[in-house]
Amino acid sequence: MRQSARLQTILDLTAVDAAPLCTNAQAGCHVLSLANLFDRVIQHSARMHGISNDLHSEFELYFLPSKNQIGRVSRNCHTSSILTPNGKENAQRMAREELTEVILKLLVAWRDPLWHFHQSMAHHHDFNNFSSNKSLEMSDMVHELRKGVQKVVEKMQMLGIISNSVSNLASPEALLASDSAEWRLMKDYDLLYCFRRDSNKVQNYLKILKCRIVPEHGC
Amino acid sequence: MLLLLLLLRFSGAGVRMKGGLRLVVLLMLSVESSSLSPPGKPVLLGCRSPEKETFTCWWKPGLDGGLPTVHRLYYEREHLEGTHECPDYRSAGSNSCFFDKNHTYIWVDYHVMVEASNALGNVPSDPLKFDVMEIVRPYAPENVTLMVEEKQESPYLHIRWKHPSNTVSRSGWITIKYQLRVKQENSNDWKNYTSGTQMGFSLYSIHPGVVYEVQVRCTLDHSSWSEWSNTTFVKIPNCEFQRPFAPFVALQLVVKIVKRFLLPPVPGPKIRGVDVQLLKSGKSEDVLGALIVNQNFPPMVARKDQMEEYLIVSDGGEWLLPAPLKSQKKKKSSFIPAGFHLDSQCKESTPSQVQENKDEMKSSSNLEQKQEFSGINFAAADLQKGASENFMQRLPNSGYVDIQRQENIVEVDGILVDYSRVKEVNGDNVFILQKENVPLSLDVQRREESMSEDYSRVKEVNGDNVVLLNPHMTGLSKIGVCTDLSSDGYVDTIPAPSLI
Repeated sequence: MRQSARLQTILDLTAVDAAPLCTNAQAGCHVLSLANLFDRVIQHSARMHGISNDLHSEFELYFLPSKNQIGRVSRNCHTSSILTPNGKENAQRMAREELTEVILKLLVAWRDPLWHFHQSMAHHHDFNNFSSNKSLEMSDMVHELRKGVQKVVEKMQMLGIISNSVSNLASPEALLASDSAEWRLMKDYDLLYCFRRDSNKVQNYLKILKCRIVPEHGC
Repeated sequence: MLLLLLLLRFSGAGVRMKGGLRLVVLLMLSVESSSLSPPGKPVLLGCRSPEKETFTCWWKPGLDGGLPTVHRLYYEREHLEGTHECPDYRSAGSNSCFFDKNHTYIWVDYHVMVEASNALGNVPSDPLKFDVMEIVRPYAPENVTLMVEEKQESPYLHIRWKHPSNTVSRSGWITIKYQLRVKQENSNDWKNYTSGTQMGFSLYSIHPGVVYEVQVRCTLDHSSWSEWSNTTFVKIPNCEFQRPFAPFVALQLVVKIVKRFLLPPVPGPKIRGVDVQLLKSGKSEDVLGALIVNQNFPPMVARKDQMEEYLIVSDGGEWLLPAPLKSQKKKKSSFIPAGFHLDSQCKESTPSQVQENKDEMKSSSNLEQKQEFSGINFAAADLQKGASENFMQRLPNSGYVDIQRQENIVEVDGILVDYSRVKEVNGDNVFILQKENVPLSLDVQRREESMSEDYSRVKEVNGDNVVLLNPHMTGLSKIGVCTDLSSDGYVDTIPAPSLI
């Protein structure tokens, strides 16, 4: 009897969405959970950017590309085609759905390149184990972060904060579409430079988004 | 010079030269002979963005060559056609170029150079190439104020400051984190403390009668640190009762004698299940094994009031792990329970059992604060190298937060919580769980399927702090999971002993 009662409660729990159980103020608790999810992904993105920063500095030490080459600036990141706001005001003016899509697109676009980057790092004898682990961690993180952001999006849609127009970028079709081969042509150093920049974008956009949507929770 | 002389000679020797040309040549000769020259090469000193919305570049002119020299800054920008000139030479002072919000674009490369020009020529500087993201560096925090607070005979120093004036961080665009350092006036030994995003800090390890110097600095997200703020000085007042009344002294003496000889000895700080000697001298693996895997953690109660009294926690939710986990010079302080009352600085050395720990205790909770995370980091690193086999096992690569194993479950606050997969708590208080090294042959697709939805169990994130995991729903009583945990919810693991 007791056993079945326990099973029952477990089933109830799994049926409920991942929001914490609250005895009162159900709506308030949902909003709290959204803020927490945001904090979570923001921290995650901060760490991801930190790692990319470290790796980039290490690369510079090893390979010493001349930083101040004379000549036109011509950085060709494979994500250049994704239109991203280039400052605070632009990011704040962008619609929530659009900003969210930008974040997801960036994360999706880096999944494969980082995985292959890690593969090539693992075979580099110059690079020590520490860096190789970092590149693996970075590759994992972009993957996890995308899922985390997806959860945030679902939560926002459930709460009616954003419309359902944010396309499901986790679907296989979407992934295939974003898999352009451009990144395969990029050199490792450029990949790192571009990812360092894009991870910084993701971090900042997430923070802006959070402070627009749940500003009362630590902004 | 030689060429000009030759020209003149030839003109003299009958080669016909126009009068005007001769004049020019003569002029140039005269110019040359009084050593005027094209300008020296300017040097681009650098660029800086204090708030990630504008930036300024500065240069240092070379020698001016004796003629009026003009410096112009030119730049190119990614996704922008052509070369452009500095939009504002004035706002940031001389030899500078200010890029306002409309001209500042983040996450694009700028290619900047300065050219010095005078009548005799143009000389460019070496170029500078950067992304504004890379040159962010805030100004120092402001209005550092120091206040000595007297609390039950042990004074502490409350330090407050304001964010740098040009930064407004309500939009999430920037997150300012602070660091402060303190030293006694006559020493060179600065002690650093991290304050996170709080703009206040309390320092307990102060000695009466000493003058302290305090400086604060800050960083925006991952940027370089600002300069240290101007030094603020404070003198801690001497104790009030340095010359107590004779009868009072006698009374104290009597109390001392009674304490020492008649009453049983005061037990030192102690944690149930942890051997202090082991902590002091044991190997890290044993220590950590005892600490973390220990099943006998007493129930954790968030006790706001007492903690506020004895600890200033700059960020909520710090772990109080003992410093010996960090193999730095010095740290041998043993575990100090959160509520332990620090011995008054003003009293003479008391013959109590805590004598041996007194020095460490004096340096109080702040050192612990400082060292906690590094302590834990270190601890985690040790764990990884790994003695404790039952602890860090090869777990399926299931990402972020998940509690699946039944071993290593610790009872916390009446709820079973599994710490076994905690890998690391880094400085920003993020739990990162152990990941298995993915074999290289593993296909990306398969990885995708095997990963579970790992954000679902996140319960709460305290600002910059520890992620509190939802306890695994084992079907046992789940007490109001959405409880209002105090901001220092995780802090102490032992109840404060009753004060002596």
